[in-house]
Amino acid sequence: MHILDTEGLTKRFPTVTALDGLTVTTGPGVTGLVGANGAGKSTLIKILLGLLPPTAGGARVLGLDVTTRGADIRRLVGYMPEHECLPPDVSATELVVHLARMSGLPRTAARERAADVLRHVGLAEERYRPIGGYSTGMKQRVKLAQALVHDPKLILLDEPTNGLDPRGRDEMLTLIRRIGAEFGISVLVTSHLLGELERVCDHVIVIDAGRLLRSSAIGEFTQATRSVTVEVDEGTQALAERLAELGHGVAPHGRMLLVEVTGPDTLDAIRDATADLGLCLIRLERGRQRIEDVFRETAGV
Amino acid sequence: MSEIYDIGYRHYDGPRLGRGHTTRALAVHSLRGVFGLGRPARSKLVPFSLAAIMVLPAIVSIAIMALMRRAGMSYSGYAVIMQAVVAIFLAAQAPTVVAPDLRFRVLPLYLSRPVTITEYVGAKVVAMTVALYALLAVPLTVMFAGELLIDLPGPPRTKEYVGAMLTGLLLAVLLAAFGLAIASLTPRRGLGVASVIALYLLASASVPIMYSTLLSAGNDAAARWAWLLNPFWLVDAVQVWVFGTTPNSEGGYPGGPVSFVIVVLLIAAAMAALALRYRKAASR
Ligand SMILES: Nc1ncnc2c1ncn2[C@@H]1O[C@H](COP(=O)(O)OP(=O)(O)OP(=O)(O)O)[C@@H](O)[C@H]1O
Ligand SMILES: [Mg+2]
Repeated sequence: MHILDTEGLTKRFPTVTALDGLTVTTGPGVTGLVGANGAGKSTLIKILLGLLPPTAGGARVLGLDVTTRGADIRRLVGYMPEHECLPPDVSATELVVHLARMSGLPRTAARERAADVLRHVGLAEERYRPIGGYSTGMKQRVKLAQALVHDPKLILLDEPTNGLDPRGRDEMLTLIRRIGAEFGISVLVTSHLLGELERVCDHVIVIDAGRLLRSSAIGEFTQATRSVTVEVDEGTQALAERLAELGHGVAPHGRMLLVEVTGPDTLDAIRDATADLGLCLIRLERGRQRIEDVFRETAGV
Repeated sequence: MSEIYDIGYRHYDGPRLGRGHTTRALAVHSLRGVFGLGRPARSKLVPFSLAAIMVLPAIVSIAIMALMRRAGMSYSGYAVIMQAVVAIFLAAQAPTVVAPDLRFRVLPLYLSRPVTITEYVGAKVVAMTVALYALLAVPLTVMFAGELLIDLPGPPRTKEYVGAMLTGLLLAVLLAAFGLAIASLTPRRGLGVASVIALYLLASASVPIMYSTLLSAGNDAAARWAWLLNPFWLVDAVQVWVFGTTPNSEGGYPGGPVSFVIVVLLIAAAMAALALRYRKAASR
């Protein structure tokens, strides 16, 4: 069964078309939904929750139609909003127990489940303190816990890594991977960085201005994203030529170079080439390119 | 992350209860919030102090009945006499019911669950109604229990007590719907408190002035209408119409069901305002 499928899904707001004839399907596992700001990611999630009616086309979540079976979908799905949504004066435990009851769990089950999921997301003693005093990372975990507390079949995570430092980001991504792989809960997770999702997703959907750019298994993306950004002080051209001579895929990208990584020796080659040419290496970064860059690259622009 | 989360995930296969359960749970949760239960002690201070003040006249009344062997305070006049305390309670506590969820954008966490906006608003109105009703019904009942125990000469004022309990419920619904509608317009709690209290002060201070002005202009009939501008006298007018009690206003009220019709229209208007407000909040 498809976890979600949309058919010509369109959403027009008075001044913008947020989704434009989107047709995609995904199966179980972790699906990344990638797009720049305003691409329509959050709009798609709200439609999938049955909270926003589509202008045209349709969508189904777990086989249920979003326009007619919204309430049933919301019983089976968990949602983590992109914005802050936590009251500061209650504790994580209190909030998550209460929201579990709002999902229909009896009181005792709500308490047990809340304690369980808060442990799973890594909130220990602090869960009894008011949320107002939490760090951004802890708040994101509470938001994730409330999405999981009723043991949904699918969770929709809207920019869960937003505002996190690199370590927090890593921990959140690891957790998402676990949810998909070990908890057996399907995940739809949005981000504007393809690079950060590639480690945790089985499938990636890329949208831009409400249109589908690409939807495929992660393997097909790795070619595009397994590249590093290289920035040198001067002599970019010389470095590009040297690497090309050595048989590496090199594409200029503004003042920087995108080099395709074929194995561990690619990084060694970059290091050696810069050293040989006596260049000053400013940046060597992987996996954090913006999605537009990836597409510029794959499209061969 | 630490190793503590390293335990297997357990699925939940127990019961998932329906709308009745979730709505009731939300109403109870909100009601506890009104009285600051499960919150720090300072959140309980205001509601419980006001509730205590509400009971004081009932206790004094019992003392009068016991010591002086004569009827104490009237049941039908309790709400009108204590109106300032009830209004302060409404102003202070209505924002705690609606403001945090709006201000901190918690609403999406409810709406992404099987809870509908109607159930959400309904549960909030029920919670505030029950709180206000408790504020009125407890002293009335304490006083009535006292009267029965003391066993004054003559029959107990059962009809007046029952009438006051029923009109108290109507008053509670009216005040809850209105108070929440006003409080929901601003996500800021302080502003909500100030708006409700300002509106009440306007309605309570201006009414006697209007009444005496119209009266001195020789317009007795119009003067009696002035009382209906204040919710406590308005509901008292309903009580006079239904139970034939003595009016708690100078000069009485316009006769007939007009006061009841006004109450119903006001409740409907407040509920419509709440519905609109939340429809807008939900679409954010
Ligand atoms: N309620 C609304 N009314 C009008 N326009 C809206 C509304 N919600 C979203 N939009 C517009 O629709 C477009 C898509 O918005 P959406 O929030 O879905 O993007 P997004 O991919 O989630 O972006 P971000 O990465 O910034 O969260 C944007 O142009 C946005 O301004
Ligand atoms: Mg968004």
